[in-house]
Amino acid sequence: METQQVAGTSLLDDYEPGSFYDEMFAASGNPRPHYGPFYDELVHMAPSEFEESRRLADLAFLLQGITFTVYNDGLGTERLFPFDLVPRIIPRAEWDRVERGLSQRVIALNLFLQDIYGKQQILKDRRIPRSLVLSCRHFRREMIGFTVPRGIYTHVAGIDLVRDSSTGEFLVLEDNVRTPSGVSYVLENRLVMTRMFPRAFQRQEVLPIDHYPAELCQVLRTLSPRGGDPVIVTLTPGVHNSAYFEHSFLAQQMGVELVESRDLVVENEIVYMKTIRGLTRVDVIYRRVDDEFLDPVVFRPDSLLGVPGLVGAYRAGNVAIANAIGNGVADDKAVYAYLPEIIRYYLGEDPILRNVDTYVCSRPADLAYVLDRTGELVVKAVGESGGYGMLMGPWATKAAIEEFRMRLRADPRNYIAQPVVRLSRVPSYDPASGRIAGRHVDLRPYCLFDGDRVVIIPGGLTRVALKPESMVVNSSQGGGSKDTWVLRGAG
Amino acid sequence: MLSRIAESLFWMGRYMERAEDTARLLDVHFHTLLEQSQQTYRLRWDSIIRISGEHERFFRFYHEATPQTVFEFLGFREDNPNSIVGCVTRVRENARTIRDRISRELWEDVNSFYLRVRGFRAESAVEAGPHRFCNEVKFSSHKFRGVADDTLPHDEGWQFLRAGRALERAEKTARIVDVEYHTLLEGPTAHAPDKSDHQWMAVLKSVAAYEVYRREFHATIDPRRVAELLVLNVRHPRSIRFNIAELQASLQAISRAAPGTYATEAERLTGKLNETLLYDRMEDIFDRGLHAFLGDLQRTCRAIGEHIARTYFYYAAA
Repeated sequence: METQQVAGTSLLDDYEPGSFYDEMFAASGNPRPHYGPFYDELVHMAPSEFEESRRLADLAFLLQGITFTVYNDGLGTERLFPFDLVPRIIPRAEWDRVERGLSQRVIALNLFLQDIYGKQQILKDRRIPRSLVLSCRHFRREMIGFTVPRGIYTHVAGIDLVRDSSTGEFLVLEDNVRTPSGVSYVLENRLVMTRMFPRAFQRQEVLPIDHYPAELCQVLRTLSPRGGDPVIVTLTPGVHNSAYFEHSFLAQQMGVELVESRDLVVENEIVYMKTIRGLTRVDVIYRRVDDEFLDPVVFRPDSLLGVPGLVGAYRAGNVAIANAIGNGVADDKAVYAYLPEIIRYYLGEDPILRNVDTYVCSRPADLAYVLDRTGELVVKAVGESGGYGMLMGPWATKAAIEEFRMRLRADPRNYIAQPVVRLSRVPSYDPASGRIAGRHVDLRPYCLFDGDRVVIIPGGLTRVALKPESMVVNSSQGGGSKDTWVLRGAG
Repeated sequence: MLSRIAESLFWMGRYMERAEDTARLLDVHFHTLLEQSQQTYRLRWDSIIRISGEHERFFRFYHEATPQTVFEFLGFREDNPNSIVGCVTRVRENARTIRDRISRELWEDVNSFYLRVRGFRAESAVEAGPHRFCNEVKFSSHKFRGVADDTLPHDEGWQFLRAGRALERAEKTARIVDVEYHTLLEGPTAHAPDKSDHQWMAVLKSVAAYEVYRREFHATIDPRRVAELLVLNVRHPRSIRFNIAELQASLQAISRAAPGTYATEAERLTGKLNETLLYDRMEDIFDRGLHAFLGDLQRTCRAIGEHIARTYFYYAAA
């Protein structure tokens, strides 16, 4: 329905799509069809009205205590994860392809883990260097020869995608199959958006996402060694962990107990939780604790954290743990470079989603190239995540580049390098000017695997670099998030 | 129910009650004492510190109990774990560790209370008079209880919350009667009856019992009747007897012991204390000595707290 345009200024005044792929505007400067209804909403909204909605959204997050903890200020301050009200909209046809590509990738990752902790056929067939796999920091020798419940390693996967500005194509940037976080923001963001923009949801049908906790719970139930009505718990490092909000959120949404390691005890290779009426047997643990801190008997004798005997109970088949122990070997950034090969090896198919070109520095030719062009590339430590251990060549100082060159020469196995991907942009609110401006985004969809099929909630977490020009979307570096809409219908 | 969750609920009940009790004492006394002589003034602030049980800690930080120092210490100081801000922070920390187990409403209520309390600053709050701050705390505590009662299932977790509140309140009322009776009847101001009348009124107001007292006794304030109301009254929700009965009901609901029996040491001690409060008359208590009686009672309350923890919160490794 046409309405009169608000006199005076508009949020989209002076909007400059720039030389990047803009997800709202086509090259012609017109909004892309799937963004039409929301574009109308924006154009007819006074900046003050938008600012008021933004304030209300922030207040809602603050009052609900939806925060993450930052450690670097020494105080463990709780911060809001900035939320941008302009949604990221993905047409259905494009999403369908992404979904197929993600399913393919998750199934291949799971087969790879089964193989690496089993017969190691892929190494015998020399499709990926043995030394590369066995030298992964997160490879867990202790898990070789152990059959995990129902053969599932990657119950939950968060696969990071970026859209390359030159082609508009979604590429895989990295895999996260240990304890990927962020899904709670996806669900809370949607809740806030439906309250702030009810009209937009009436005009376009957005695929729902709120079934995620039920789907996750269903995956966990099937793992129970005792069958019947299993006792499931979510294991958190505790209230001071940066993702604590999410741990308690998921426990509550699934209706399972949220436990810390001090709530659990192992007796005769059976895991129990301590209740006011004594011990209750635990069947399935959805853990949000890193491998190293699960069981001090196996991993960190110096650590007070963890549940002594937990791995013993796991190996005895008396408890299931999701995600499996040792998954880090599959999301190592050097192994990532071999993922297209891994997909072809196990599935006999070409990958649907392409990787970003990657130089693996343990290969001498690649190392030479990377040393030659360090200043043009993004260099990453293979076992890190969350934006740590990374060099953004074009923005780095000479000294930082030199330092990375030294590290590359000293320990090439620990690094990979990629060309800078010119991330696509989505219009986002800039509080400084009170206008909408283009900001770079990535996308993390959440994939659940029950051994037969992969369930992916439509969309995922869109992270946005809120600082002008920045390409770093991590929350620790001024990143925020957006609601992600996948539209029903042909779109 | 996980032991840790039961423990968090129990302490949420205690800390919220502690914050409210402290706010009530501060508010009433600050405003009553505006009309008193300097001498009385100083001594009265001293007894407020004694009631809080933090006398020693207070004099490590300050030389003198003045409205400013007492208000800062009991209201805001982070290094006083029993300050109002300290208590509210710990209610919120406990709620945060079990937010998956409490209602969304209760969590948001606690969180926004915490944010409001954090928004006050000691200096400006004292300057403006503590009423606004104390009233905020008092009514937020009432609201907390309402939200908890109306949104939590009345299961064993809710019983732990209730038990924590009842135990804290019984103990705090015992301290108030004990300290005030001693100060007002035996202290240097004891022989100025017109003055102490006002102070007894303040004591009654601080436990929301002033109107009740007037309705029940009409007459001028008789300290023995004040004590009777606060110790033995069966209906006043801040009397010791009322709260020990509450505590007993909670502990029975938790242990599921058959009526007339008990399953835990905490229940036995609570039941015994309840019998005394039920069948003893005020003159029996005065014959034995009020101070001794209240001293024993506070020790019993501490023992009950310890036994609750031992029975339900701690797991002895095999």
